[in-house]
Amino acid sequence: MIRRKSMFGIAAVLLLTLLVSACSGNNAGTAPTPGSSNAPTNESQPKEGGSLIIAVGADPVILNPNYAGDRVSLTIDQALYAPLFQVNNGEKTFYLAESLEPSEDNLTYTLKLKSGLTWHDGEKLTADDVVFTIDKILDEKQNSFLRGNFTIGGKPIQAVKVDDLTVEFKLPQVSPAFEATLVQVSPIPKHIFENEADLEKSTKNKAPIGSGAFKFKEYKTGEYVTLERFDGYVGGKPYLDSITYRIAKDTNSANLALQNGEINVKYVDPQDVGTIQASNKFEILPYSEGRLSYLLFNHNSDTGVLGKKEVRQALSYALNRDELIQVAYTSNEYADPAKSILAPDALFQTNDLVSFDNDAAKAKELLEAAGVKGLKLRFIVSSGNKAQESISLYVQQKLKAVGVDVEIKAMDASAYGEKFTNPKATDYELAAAGYIMGYDPDAYSILFTSDGDANYSHYSNKEVDELFKQGASEADTAKRGDIYKKLQEIAAEDAPVYPIAYTKTIVAVDKKYGGLEEAVLKPVVIFEDLSKIYLK
Amino acid sequence: MRQLIIRRLLQTIPMLIFVSIACFAMVKLAPGDPVLSFVTPNMHAEDIERIRHNLGLDKPAYVQYLIWIKEILSGNLGYSLINHQPVLDQIVERLPATAGLMGVSIGLAFLLAIPLGLIAGANRNRWVDKLINLFSYIGISVPLFWLAMLLMYFFSVKLHWLPSMGMRTIGIHSVFDVIKHGILPCFVLAFGFLAVYVRYIRSSTIGQLKEDYVQIQYAFGSTKRTVLFRHVLKHVLLPVITLLGMSLADLVTGAIVTETVFSWPGIGSLGMTAVRGMDYPVIMGITLFSSVMLIVGNLVADILYGIADPRIKTRG
Repeated sequence: MIRRKSMFGIAAVLLLTLLVSACSGNNAGTAPTPGSSNAPTNESQPKEGGSLIIAVGADPVILNPNYAGDRVSLTIDQALYAPLFQVNNGEKTFYLAESLEPSEDNLTYTLKLKSGLTWHDGEKLTADDVVFTIDKILDEKQNSFLRGNFTIGGKPIQAVKVDDLTVEFKLPQVSPAFEATLVQVSPIPKHIFENEADLEKSTKNKAPIGSGAFKFKEYKTGEYVTLERFDGYVGGKPYLDSITYRIAKDTNSANLALQNGEINVKYVDPQDVGTIQASNKFEILPYSEGRLSYLLFNHNSDTGVLGKKEVRQALSYALNRDELIQVAYTSNEYADPAKSILAPDALFQTNDLVSFDNDAAKAKELLEAAGVKGLKLRFIVSSGNKAQESISLYVQQKLKAVGVDVEIKAMDASAYGEKFTNPKATDYELAAAGYIMGYDPDAYSILFTSDGDANYSHYSNKEVDELFKQGASEADTAKRGDIYKKLQEIAAEDAPVYPIAYTKTIVAVDKKYGGLEEAVLKPVVIFEDLSKIYLK
Repeated sequence: MRQLIIRRLLQTIPMLIFVSIACFAMVKLAPGDPVLSFVTPNMHAEDIERIRHNLGLDKPAYVQYLIWIKEILSGNLGYSLINHQPVLDQIVERLPATAGLMGVSIGLAFLLAIPLGLIAGANRNRWVDKLINLFSYIGISVPLFWLAMLLMYFFSVKLHWLPSMGMRTIGIHSVFDVIKHGILPCFVLAFGFLAVYVRYIRSSTIGQLKEDYVQIQYAFGSTKRTVLFRHVLKHVLLPVITLLGMSLADLVTGAIVTETVFSWPGIGSLGMTAVRGMDYPVIMGITLFSSVMLIVGNLVADILYGIADPRIKTRG
């Protein structure tokens, strides 16, 4: 059991490597009110004071937004460092920034900061800090993984200070995805890091100075991270006195701690929802993570059989998406059926597409027409990953009905990860996986263009490559929308992968807390703005 | 005596070299690439290569090994690949939590195991023995994480007597608070150790009771109790010394499962995280550290043995 949990952890790490832009998304279940005032709509009056304990699965790796790539660090950084702005359902909520305007030619973006901003230590937060942050991201010696986003066609985006509150970003070419890049940036303080040779290894990260709603108080390795209220927060003084992130590595015992009141906020698995809900002490909030769970077809396998569009369509016909969701996610409450390769939080996403689904006769017909007989496929599975295991067993059984043999190859999670991400691996045809790519569809190009760095299915369609290229530099929103619509249609027809579901994350929050809607549920980091949460 | 110690110390050198090679090789051969934990798909191939180079992971394996050994000899166990903190610091930071937890558990287990084992051995196949055996079989077969969950459910969730997780209440730094948090994990661990120790002591007692000196004591009119606790006990403690020596490694490596279940911030949970993240330096650091402790533990046990049983010295 414990071992299985650890495997689950590895799977989570793997998912994180697929986590391109972590700081964006929408909230299917809730109605976020971006930029709304502090006054909550709830009938109970918000009180000041109190604390909130959030469960996290591991120690944070590094409390510096230029390096945070793991879920825990990103979650804590969200409270510790204020972002410039965030995007929900295509609408911006401004935090440190007051506005962001593109120029006529879309090659320069002007960012205005709000005035009177300060860091947790009382120093002024100015354009210098923003420029410093971008420069450090771009500095090759600093190893920030955000660097790739700040280069377009191999050329860097430049940040130039105009005055204390204004920064100009100069782009080498038109890139509407730039805003999605900037969403991921939370400025780091220049006065703290100026003289540090290596920001990643700097001891300053142990007592981080940010500009977020809560400031750093204490970190006990393996135990907890505590933050306390920052009165000078740009979004207004937070209600709660403190936030604690409690490190709880074992899911089962953390669920007990949740019921015991030692934890107030925690992710829960679908199968545990019933138990937690029975206590009637928690709000159960499922919300979209902007993640697509899909069945991967390896077009590059040594048999080469999945390179044929008709075979992929036939395999898709043999499966039933609704059954698959039941099997893997216990209920369609926690996963919406997927047809597009884009997740629902992506701009221009549409699910109104052709889909090859649930027609075994058609599947046989197509296989026959393609001249494929006695097909044998290898399905790689990371052992211990429950969702993958159930998907593989289901697929095996359904494909058998159309005369396709599936051999399930269970392997150690790290071996699985290595095979999955190795572009030269040709000894398997099927795998179950997922990705979170953020709201700009350009991010998906690395997954589906012929030379994409994360094109694990080895899909190659010149038309799709071309459309991604056009979409990346099309400034006109309507035209851009058409490009990505067309792209999704082609991809649906080509069936490069079999999209299963847009999965949801479920968070349980103790009922004694209010302001959850204003705090906005957010993929990966749980809440966008913790300052809005209060004790009822 | 001194000869014995010197000889045993010298013997540890090849052992340590072997351990270091073995643990380096195992980690090297295991599937998975530590660079992957730095990679996101929007990185280009050259970025990945740059990171690999910066980490020194593009050098041949034996060069990596020699660099590692050289650094260890100068007291540097390296830096975590994940959070870039010195490995030694991380181990030392978590040592008190683990040593405290394990020390109390092992101590408790011994204190209970000795009388229980003696009683069981002396009453072989009677109901007391069967009862004690039953408990120790349960202790050996019950998965500790399950026991942990069960106790947590009753004592934390139902009765609210004890906290279910962690080592401290947030923001409170008192010894009493730590003890309160330690009760459940200590009990679980002690139960696991106790079950094993009782079996050892029981069989050792049975063996001793067949010895001539026991018969002589009885012939002199000693009561069963005097024989057991005054004479047999001393001899029974000999294998206990070996057990203690081996437990010394447990003292610093901690208990991976129990620490994880209780979110106890010890070396066990550090190791667990390192394995998940393919954090080579941390895995090797912990392995090496615990190997050294095991060797030291055995050495100490040997010396104590020599003191307790002079026959060993002359033979040694």
